[in-house]
Amino acid sequence: MANSAQVLETREPRSVGRSLLLTLPMAVWSVLMFSPSFGRANLALVIAMILTAAFMTVLFFMMMRTRRTYRWRRWFFAVLGLLFPVGFIHEVVALRGSMAIPIEEMIAGRTPFCFIPIPLLILPAALTKTLVFPGHILAHAGASGSGMAAMAGIWLAITIVVGKGWCSYACFFGGIEEGVAALPAKPKLKRLDPRWRYGPWAVLLAMVLLSLALFEPAYCMWLCPFKAVSEYVAARNTVGLIQNGIFIFLFAGLVIVLPLLTKKRTQCSFFCPFGAFQSIFNKTSVFDVKIDRTRCTPCVLCEKSCPTLSLTQKSIAKGETLMSCMKCGACVDACPRDAAVWHIRGTDVALKPERARLMFLYAAWAMAVMFGGSVIADGLQTILHVFV
Amino acid sequence: MKALAARLGYTAAGATVFAAVLVPFFLYGTFTKGFSSLGLHVDEVYSGGPTIRTIQAAGYTIDIHRQVSPHMLQSERPFVQLDWKPVSALPPHVSDVVDIDGDGRPDVLVTFDVPKDAKAVLHVNVEPLNPRYEAMRNVAKPRFSELIVRVDDAVLVRVPVASRR
Repeated sequence: MANSAQVLETREPRSVGRSLLLTLPMAVWSVLMFSPSFGRANLALVIAMILTAAFMTVLFFMMMRTRRTYRWRRWFFAVLGLLFPVGFIHEVVALRGSMAIPIEEMIAGRTPFCFIPIPLLILPAALTKTLVFPGHILAHAGASGSGMAAMAGIWLAITIVVGKGWCSYACFFGGIEEGVAALPAKPKLKRLDPRWRYGPWAVLLAMVLLSLALFEPAYCMWLCPFKAVSEYVAARNTVGLIQNGIFIFLFAGLVIVLPLLTKKRTQCSFFCPFGAFQSIFNKTSVFDVKIDRTRCTPCVLCEKSCPTLSLTQKSIAKGETLMSCMKCGACVDACPRDAAVWHIRGTDVALKPERARLMFLYAAWAMAVMFGGSVIADGLQTILHVFV
Repeated sequence: MKALAARLGYTAAGATVFAAVLVPFFLYGTFTKGFSSLGLHVDEVYSGGPTIRTIQAAGYTIDIHRQVSPHMLQSERPFVQLDWKPVSALPPHVSDVVDIDGDGRPDVLVTFDVPKDAKAVLHVNVEPLNPRYEAMRNVAKPRFSELIVRVDDAVLVRVPVASRR
């Protein structure tokens, strides 16, 4: 009896006043993050920043009010995934007239650097002090933006805070996939071979070794599905054409078709080497998601709801998620008995899961506003330029 | 023991939230600076390697870079990069004999046209005067180790070095 009362209590919406109070620090944070742009002459940028700050604050308020995470985070993520290509493609096309990066730009060190090649660069850098990427280490003119050091810095800082949560609160590529997966009402393909979960580790291992042997960012050159919506090496020969064909095929298959059929983030679950690498940091993060076995029936709704197949019946029986859990909160929202809970390592699973959720969300949402918010604002600004 | 573990857990969680606040103001900059101070450099197959000598020509200069040798299974060949700059000072047709290794004897004869259109594809001919270097006939930019491109205010030519037998 006491148990069910507890369940009902945690599912009740918070009062508006209390929710506003809890949202206040995040509202201040949003203003702080975007205020440097408020005084600028660029009206489109100012409007984009205000809209983004308001959007992120409203979503956080809804998380506080409804005590639900995934539903609102997904809005942020889908918008991030939608607006990232808008801003990025506009930037590269404005700079060089095409999404294709010519060899001149690579030699000049102006290749934009995203976080995905980071694990591939570690071994060559450790062994030879060489970065096998045609970018620039420091801020440089052109599409490389603030350089490899800046991306490495922001990745490390965010990873320390949210660990594998990067994939749920920062990865703009994941946003595309999650947006697509949200479109169908029900999955058409329900049975997925669990062995596919090892895919990202296999890709990571293969790409790390290949990058070391070939001394090039092998994943970027051959397998990255997101080249289809960002930038790709200008095809100078048949090999280049094949590479670009692979990018389009993988993007269509893993980011569009399979998420539509399965309602899962299939690229993240079966393919992404960066996701596999980031899973290692789940072991260092203080926050995780647990299954309270005293409440669990088990109905396996959490397993069905997980977008990255990070729950199995075996792991549920153990009260844990798999290492690939990206802390999106889908299982926590889906559990009808509040058995799936946010948790702080070292504490009792059943004890104050909402406190753990709040602490995690303050940290993760702060990173989402800072990193994802700037990407959203950039995409919005691009669109607003048409009107303002 | 349980109470201690819980206390440590909450302390770590609190420290994580604090770290999140520090990210834009301190951590991000510190990590960025830390990364750039590691002494890493971009692979010379992309960057062309450091300049070791500059030759003064009529109104322009030719920078000679250190020879770049590919690593392990890298699909490129060894090459030497030569930079003609500034582009504005180059004649419409460049034909220069270059002493790459600095031994006082000419190594290659490099000829190319400089079109006014900065986006036009360049083509280069390289006549080796030293068997150490390989010939290039009407080459544009097929690979990193064999090309002519315009980068900012310079025309870059990469001359492949013959493999030792």
